[in-house]
Order: sequence, then C-alpha cells, then structure tokens
Amino acid sequence: MSDRLRLAIFGCGAITCDYHLPAAVAHPDVRVAALVDSNVNRAQDLGRLYGLDCKFTADYKSVLGEVDALINALPNSLHTPVNLEAFHAGVHVLCEKPLAITAADARTCCEVAERSGLVLAIGMQRRFHANHRLLRLALDEGMLGPLQGYDWEDGTSWDWGTKSGFYFSRAEAGGGVLMDYGVHLLDSVVDWFGPVSRFEYQDDNWGGGIEANVILALQHNGPYGNLSGRIRLSRTYNLKNRLSVWGEAARFEMPRGELDSLVLFRRISEQEVSMTLRFSNGQESEAASPYYAQLDNFVASIHGRQRPLADGRQALAIIQLIEECYAKARRIAEPWVEIGEAASKASA
Amino acid sequence: MTWLQKPICVTGATGFIGGRVCERLVQAGAPKVRAMYHNIRHAPRIARLPVELCRGNLRDLKSLRECVGEAKTVIHCALGDWHGIASDTGHVLQAAKSAQVERFIHLSTTAIYGFRPTPDCNAEEAPYRTTGHEYCDNKMRAEKVVRNFCRRGLPAVILRPSIVYGPFASWSTELLGNLRSGEATLIDEGKGACNTTYVDNLVDAIFLAIENEKAVGEAFFITDGERVTWADFIRAHVAMMESKPALQEITEQEATTYWQQQPGNWAKSWREARQILVGGELRQLLKRIPVMASVLSWAWRRYRDVDVEAKARFRDRLAGVSGGAAGARAAKYIPDPTTLQIQTHNVFFRIDKARRILGYQPRVSFAEGIRLVEQWLRFADYLP
Repeated sequence: MSDRLRLAIFGCGAITCDYHLPAAVAHPDVRVAALVDSNVNRAQDLGRLYGLDCKFTADYKSVLGEVDALINALPNSLHTPVNLEAFHAGVHVLCEKPLAITAADARTCCEVAERSGLVLAIGMQRRFHANHRLLRLALDEGMLGPLQGYDWEDGTSWDWGTKSGFYFSRAEAGGGVLMDYGVHLLDSVVDWFGPVSRFEYQDDNWGGGIEANVILALQHNGPYGNLSGRIRLSRTYNLKNRLSVWGEAARFEMPRGELDSLVLFRRISEQEVSMTLRFSNGQESEAASPYYAQLDNFVASIHGRQRPLADGRQALAIIQLIEECYAKARRIAEPWVEIGEAASKASA
Repeated sequence: MTWLQKPICVTGATGFIGGRVCERLVQAGAPKVRAMYHNIRHAPRIARLPVELCRGNLRDLKSLRECVGEAKTVIHCALGDWHGIASDTGHVLQAAKSAQVERFIHLSTTAIYGFRPTPDCNAEEAPYRTTGHEYCDNKMRAEKVVRNFCRRGLPAVILRPSIVYGPFASWSTELLGNLRSGEATLIDEGKGACNTTYVDNLVDAIFLAIENEKAVGEAFFITDGERVTWADFIRAHVAMMESKPALQEITEQEATTYWQQQPGNWAKSWREARQILVGGELRQLLKRIPVMASVLSWAWRRYRDVDVEAKARFRDRLAGVSGGAAGARAAKYIPDPTTLQIQTHNVFFRIDKARRILGYQPRVSFAEGIRLVEQWLRFADYLP
C-alpha cells in the first residue's frame, strides 16, 4: 500500500457528488484513484469539477486491481455483488447503506469480509453526528431520569437529487422509505436503546410498489431496560421532523438537520425551560462533515488504528429487522381512498 | 375484455389528479397501468402502487410513444408549462393516435371560459373565447387540438372540471397556509360560485367517459352538482382548525380599485430604482470610487445643514412614499387579481349533460368530501 490510500468511488450520483467526493478530496491520507459510473461522462464531469487526475471508467472490474479501498455508492441491488468482487480482489469497502437488500446477502458480505481480513464499513453516517454521541452520553448521565419512551418523525416531500431514479424500483432499491432513510433511524435507535424485541409495522405499499410512508412501533430491550418508541417516516408529507426522547425528569429534542446539538426541556417551578447542549470541545467539530469523519474512521480502520463505527454486523441486524418488518407489514389506514374502492368495484 | 383489462396510460401521474386516477385504476383491478412522470422526485406517491413508472416529456414525441406503448386508453392529466399546453397536448394525441388507442380522455377545465365566466358559458356548447389569460387561453386551444384529432378518428372525450379538491390538493393545503398567515379573505362575503369537484367524482366521470360510446367527441362540465360558494369552502377549512382564525372581508370593488391604482412596469421600475438609490449598500459601493467618494462627501455636507422636516420630505419623495396607499396595503390583505376573478363570478356550471349522456352522478357530497379531506390533512400533518 502506498503512503496515501488509493481510493475508488463507485457510483457518481447525488451522494458522491455532494458528500463522498468532497470528503475524499479533503482527506490528507487519501488519493482518489478512480471514479466509476455507468455513465462515464458523469464521472468525468465530477472529476473536472474537483480537478482530479484519476481514472474515469464505467468498467469497475478494471479498477479493482489498482486501488486499496472503495466507496460503494451504487444502487442498492449492486452493493452485494460489487462488495464481494472487491473482497476477492483484496479491496476494503465502505458501503453506502443499506449494506444489501436481503439479510442473506448482508450476511454473506460480512462473512466474506471477515474471512478475507478486510474492512467492511457501512455508510450509516448518523453515528458520526456529534449529537448522536451526545444523546448517548446524556442518557448515561441520567439527565432524563428513568427513560419512558421516544417518538421520531422524519418526513419531507421527497427532494433527493437522484441521478438514476433507482429509488423507485423495488428490484434495485429493495424497498421504499424504510430501506432508505429508515436505515439511519433504526441504526440510531438500536445503537442507543438496544436490540428490538418487539415491533408493529405499517406502511402504505399497495402491493408490488414501494412504501412512501411508514409507522413503526418498537420495543427495545437494552441498557435502559424495556423501552417503547415510535418512528414515522414519509416521502410525501412534511412531518414534525424531530426526535423526542422523554423520561420522568425531562425530555430531549433533536430537530432534523441539527447535527451537533440537543435541546433539553424540563420544568422548574411548573415552568418549562429549555437549554441547548453541545460539545464545547473544538475536536467535536467533525459534526460539520460527518462524511469526512466517516471516511476518516474507515481509513483508520484499514490502518488498524480504529474499528469501523458502523460495521457490517450492525448493518446486518438492521437489514434483518427491515426484512421482518416487510414480512409482517400491515397497510396504513387511508380511509380517504376507500370511497373510490367501492365505486371502482361497482364500475368494474 | 373490458377497458380496465387492457393497458392504460396516465399522463401527469405524479400530479394530484393523475395520482388519484392511478390509485383508482389499481383499486378497480387494472393489471397494466403505465404511469407517466416527468420528474422522478415527484414519484413517491405513485411508486406505492403496482403500476409501471415511465418517464415521459411532453415535448418529446419519442418518449411519449414509449410511454403510451400498447395502451388502449390514454388519460391525459399532464399540464406542463402554460404556454405549451396546446402543443404538448398535440404531442400526446399524436402518440395516442399512432398507438390506435380506443379512448383518449382529455382533462380540460371550466377555465377555458376564463376565470370569471359570463352566465352564457353555462352550457358546454358555448363558443370558445379568448380571455387574455395564458392558462385559460391555452387550455381552450388544447381543446381545439383534441377536437381536431377527434375529427380525424381519435375517440376522444373532453372533461371540464372546475375547482378539483380532495387529498393532496393544493386548494386545501394552501388555504390552510393562508388562513394561518391571515391572507385568506372573503370577497363580497364569499358569495361567488366555487363549483367544487371532489376528485373521486371526477375519476368516476373519467371512467364513465371511457365506458360510454356516446361520449366520444363531446365535452362535459364535471362538478359536484352542489351550489357551494367560496364562503362554504373557506369556512369548511376554518372549521377544521383549532384556532378558528378570523376571516378578513373585502369587497370586489375595493380590491379592484386597489389593483387599478397599482403602477405599471415602468413606474414600478422607477420606484425600485429610487429605493436602491437611497439604500446604504449602493452608497458604500460608490464610496470605493475615489471621485464618487468626494462627490458624496460634498453632497452629505450640504444635506447635513437642511432642517429635519425637509430631510424627511426629501427622503419620502425619493423613496416614492405617497401616504395612504402603503398604509392601506399593510393593514389589509388584498387578494391577487386572479383570485379576485375566480372567487367573484356567479356561474354554477351545470352537469345535466354529464348526467344525461355519461350517467354521471356525483356520489361524494361536499360535506363528505370535506370530511375526507380533513381526515387526510390530519394524517398528512397539515392539521394537528
């Protein structure tokens, strides 16, 4: 391995353009050796934008022998086959979430990486938000008193600048909003509150489509005992867009888009007061770029200095949970659509 | 084999009406629905359904031909840019004609007679007219294009709904926003005709127009068939809100007078230019030019000696403030001219022809429609 890690990025869509490539270009121990995309013009355009002197190709196989590591930002269905080829070529992988679209594939990826002694890190980058760690520390300090529950709503009218549109193909994406942003939220709550012992899952997939809305009731059995929570996700509606965690003494809120702070609400003499918590240590400023921190953790893991903060086994647990959710899905009640159902049956 | 069993193409499938059409087709058991979208970002709603998403561009005949494919029915809900409505509709018609479709449903609008129709428009046979509004006139031209294709053998039907509301409709979501910001206003006590069309009533009409041979070549007004006023519509939304915001009232005369007094483009440009001239930012920029800095310094010394009242008069004159108008404007929200037109006519479009030929019977009453909208607004977090 040369001094600087030779990194390839597979897939030059929105996530690479906006996050992975800026992080890679900024990292002193990384040299971007190749940009790979089925549309090679897109790779070249992106390379020009950053003044990169690297290989641009649509043939990812031709790159595997020339790099030490890769970021797999291809459509979900390509994660497993490309990861496996990379491991066979001795290449470390930082794979975008979800690791795979089935638990079986995710398990295979983990096993092959472990057998090969290669790093498999997963782009569950909420782990690198400063407030993710801050919440854990605050809970461990008992700032809320005995924990009672949580509620997390995350939804906007979908505006992700997808280049390929694979998100709307079940075959390519493996699912809808749960398989997409849901991975991040599930990873966070499992990391904080422990494994899920029970759940009730509803979505609005009419059968053969992919869900845009999800309501998920969860029960965890973890460091704070049995804890119930609710997650609501949407690609069609603007929801409250905040996490609320409450205990007997107080509650925390984490608004969407805030990466480094938490707001604590409690009562003093019957008056509700709030205070914002954030790390005052300047070293926590990685919150400004979780993708840089993620890449840095990946590089340090390859050099044996750290372990991936989000690894394949943790991702596998999330994929297993999602798979179980899909298997036991109930339809969200949409009474406003039923009027048409009666009419259509009559018409037919 | 019924029409439902054959392939169906829906243009504008990611829109409010197109989305509901797709849902209803799936509910009715249609096995092959091709849902045409323009921007994948708008696809989450229809991606829930077992439909085939296909990307199409109203300006690109090739893409339209691919979307129509082997469809035997085309339901044209796409709108596109206002200025291209007629030519875009022509492209969809060409694609449909090439595919030899058995029915083409064109979603038109009562607005082909303008946003403020005259009483003689209350029959489908009323002659076309130019209103001067880009949307209205181009929707009217699109109808003419449809009729041309129909004469050349394409079995097309024109449906003219009015205020189509229901889940996902901006009529309700924007109205709630306006009510919260104090911009919802009853014009002339809200007595104007609202001509509501609950989206499922419209979809019923679409299905009937596909099934009914006598519909070909005809145009139909489609409403809920109730005399719902704008006051009814707006107050129904106020009733959903916990805060029950007070409604402002304004007369049509008052609002019209206000807009008549507004300056044209040249006057507005002069006013803006004057405001930039008195703004500090421009002065700071000019000071960077040494000669200008000297001139400004000289002017400032002269200005400093002028008495306070004269300074105030000078500043006001330069900023174009002339007293009452600005104050009146701040005190009362004035509906824009289009809203003014839409909400102040008294034409309740008749649906007798749709009843007679299509067998159309609006099944969702206004009260029921509003109840369903409220359920959806609460689920979608527009209401607590």
